[in-house]
Amino acid sequence: MKQKNSKLIKILYGLIIGFLVYFILLPVMSVIVYGIKSENSLFFSMKGLERSLGYLKNSLIVSFSVTAIATCTGVMLAFTLNRIKFVGRGLLKLLVLLPFVNPPFVGSISYIMLFGRRGLISNKLLGLSISPYGPWGIVVIQVLGLSSLAYILIASSIKKTDTTLEAAARNLGANENDILRSITIPMMLPEISSTALLVFLASMADFSTPLIIGGNFQTLASDLYIQITGLFDMKSAAVSGLILLIPCIAAFVIQKYHLQKKSYFTEETLSSSIEYEEINAYTKFFLISFTAIFISFIFIKYFFIIVGAFTKQWGYNYTLTFSHVNELIGKQYKPFINSIKLAFITASLGSFLGMLIAYLIRFKKLFLSNFVDFAATLPAAVPGILFGIGYLVAFKYPILGIGKWIFTDIKPWILLGTGSIIYLIMIARFINTGLRSGYALLEHINPDMEKASYNLGAGEIETFFRIMAPLMKDAFFASFIRAFTSGMITLGAIIFLLMPSNKVAVQQIFQVVNGGNIGAGAAISLTLSLLTLFLLGVFYTLFNIVEYMKVIKRNKDRLNIWK
Amino acid sequence: MNKKKIMALVMAVMMIISLTACNSQNSATTAQTESTSAPESKAEQSDIQNDAGWYSEYYDAETMKGKTLNMYGVTDSDPILAEFTKDTGIVIANLVMKNGEILQRLINEKESGVVIADLWFTGGADTFISASQQGLLHPYKSPVGNELEDIMKDKDGYWHGTSLTLVNWVINTELIEKNNLIMPEAWEDLLQDGLKGEVSMSDPASSGTAYNTVSAILQVRGEEAGWEYLDKLIAQVPFFTARGSDPANMVINGEAIVGINASNGDREMEENNEHIKLVYPADGTGWWPQPVAIIEGTENLDEAKVFVDWILSKRGMEAYARIRNAAVARKDVEIPEGIININDINLFPVDFQANAESRDQILLDWAEHIQ
Repeated sequence: MKQKNSKLIKILYGLIIGFLVYFILLPVMSVIVYGIKSENSLFFSMKGLERSLGYLKNSLIVSFSVTAIATCTGVMLAFTLNRIKFVGRGLLKLLVLLPFVNPPFVGSISYIMLFGRRGLISNKLLGLSISPYGPWGIVVIQVLGLSSLAYILIASSIKKTDTTLEAAARNLGANENDILRSITIPMMLPEISSTALLVFLASMADFSTPLIIGGNFQTLASDLYIQITGLFDMKSAAVSGLILLIPCIAAFVIQKYHLQKKSYFTEETLSSSIEYEEINAYTKFFLISFTAIFISFIFIKYFFIIVGAFTKQWGYNYTLTFSHVNELIGKQYKPFINSIKLAFITASLGSFLGMLIAYLIRFKKLFLSNFVDFAATLPAAVPGILFGIGYLVAFKYPILGIGKWIFTDIKPWILLGTGSIIYLIMIARFINTGLRSGYALLEHINPDMEKASYNLGAGEIETFFRIMAPLMKDAFFASFIRAFTSGMITLGAIIFLLMPSNKVAVQQIFQVVNGGNIGAGAAISLTLSLLTLFLLGVFYTLFNIVEYMKVIKRNKDRLNIWK
Repeated sequence: MNKKKIMALVMAVMMIISLTACNSQNSATTAQTESTSAPESKAEQSDIQNDAGWYSEYYDAETMKGKTLNMYGVTDSDPILAEFTKDTGIVIANLVMKNGEILQRLINEKESGVVIADLWFTGGADTFISASQQGLLHPYKSPVGNELEDIMKDKDGYWHGTSLTLVNWVINTELIEKNNLIMPEAWEDLLQDGLKGEVSMSDPASSGTAYNTVSAILQVRGEEAGWEYLDKLIAQVPFFTARGSDPANMVINGEAIVGINASNGDREMEENNEHIKLVYPADGTGWWPQPVAIIEGTENLDEAKVFVDWILSKRGMEAYARIRNAAVARKDVEIPEGIININDINLFPVDFQANAESRDQILLDWAEHIQ
């Protein structure tokens, strides 16, 4: 039986399509057209093409290595931390999340201080003198950061594992290896492949790590930044951007349409029941020590940033000082407020829109749903810095970009130069986070639940808020948290759109680190991390208080019934 | 029943908060303005104009106090801007970017008819020249500009130099001693064997510091001898960093021994690091002025002119010299102790106009030479 969609749904859907076309497709198309149109760009000289292809090769080498290592690490971490019981697990689970609230620039510097030619560990401790600059530096830094992303994504699916299937196989006499290979991993495959995709895309889009630690090994993304800031050439930057876009879109399409997702209807399982009861002692030992070592690397890196913030000259003179922090206190706090505002607003709106789109596409069977899905996920495939250039190119004309041809004199409608442009680009980017979170959840929800509600006479809106919203709120919160955290440290997408009046903290860090004042950079970045952590704690508490109140209320209601 | 309503409410509230916050973007800046502007009476005003070392015919305390101007620049000028606010009550919000980014933004903003920044303060003279040629700057011949030498300003008033940025070497003295090297004094000293792989330099394509160094060497030595020297220098450098600030950082961390650097003050680098010395090459060095300019199309033209007059005044220059430890453009300003005296340094005669014009060709040649 097919449910007819109401007018409200259709109007909403139309608005969403409008938003996606305007704020995602238009900028992406603009940057492509802009790149192709520029006949005097480097692209059309063989040498320019050669240059870009060289950088493409570098990008791919780094990204493939990072994807392979980080995804495997993520899987291992997720298994160890969620399915094996051991002492200290809680602490490790917490520490593995550190890179999430860590602005990337100082991480790279921390690495140079530790493992550089005159680094603390490599040189002072081990007596080596190896240059930290180059592809492997980039790989190490990106793996340390992105493994946490992989861990989070995979862990969320591992918690939803239907252990009854495993138990059934076990009862039928299968050994643990076979179960892992033929049941557990295949069941998680959709999550693993989408994780690998995200890691790949994040690695391709990262411009700051190669910039700081690549040495003469630069990638397409960092070259893009250099072309604009150093060569003053946005046109050839757009061309390089096109070349960067090709593998990103390709990976995106392959993952999306060829690694078909299998869906498993499972009710939410309790996370306490997924632990392995019997596990090979060696395997257990290996997994736990691997996890511990990996996480201690993350911890050392983080700890060393703290050291940098409180010592006189990071990397050379480790005399305790509070001057960096004092300097910070005397400085403006406004960029921090701007950061919080930006991250909070865009994360909530983006997540909400994403969840809504996920719901409409999966449950409503509307026209153009493939198109909507594609448009909404596209920003994930477009490197932030390139997306930002797209906004720049598209919205410098009146009436949201199309006024290039029609309205040439109307000033107030030009988005460029208003504060809202950075909000819009971030929302456009975070829709994807909400969408993924929504899909992941809806995959585990049986659509029949909704049909049952209709059959019982509930309307569309009532069904959404009574059946779907409560089920989706965890996913919304998860998406919000992820988007908020990344919103606090996003720079690529907005770097060319910021204004003097709304500069954000991460831009300040980038600027301070650029200026060579790395101690102060460490201090600001640490402050930003702690602030993000604190806010996450606040959100988490608020969210749980609402939940808790509801439980109390429910119990009260039940008591009343009994009376 | 109730819990769904709460959920719906929470979502609705979130959206409303978000929307209003979006709208209040612009008003946020004015709030900040009010807190920083110091109250001044009319009487004090005239004192400042007579004795405090600055004057601008465009200044009107009544209307200008509490206004906020936007500025682009390549260095963090906030402490200097705070002095300006103290004197005038005009607040300036400064966004720090790289030269190329500023130029690119101005081009875009002109194309779309949007003016975000009112002023551009600090950056490479070549980018200012390029911007003035593209009609991005508003000419203003400040009367105070007469105090500057001709090479320090644009003849049509598109920009005025405020201080000098000098190319220098950041040297890790500890490693020089350890490796028994000669302390470099002249450019040829960078070619000594022990410095192979230990000289750090940025990429002229992406860094103004390196570009000015290269073009200065070419102008002084001539094309042929210039490239001959540069080829030898290139062989000493393990890789070219993306940003002009990288070499100094590498030297401080011991990743390199000598870094080709440019500084507009930066005395802190030596003060904070016992193992670091800034050396100005004895046989001449590259330099460029740090200009200030008004952006074409600004709606706050008078206020912008006040800033130009102020920064070029004795009062502004003294504040600049004191805060940034920089060698300022005016010669009649009392210079605090410890600042490098430009009369002691052998400056390469530089033609900035030529610098800006031959940029593309030099970069193409450079690309050939580093292969």
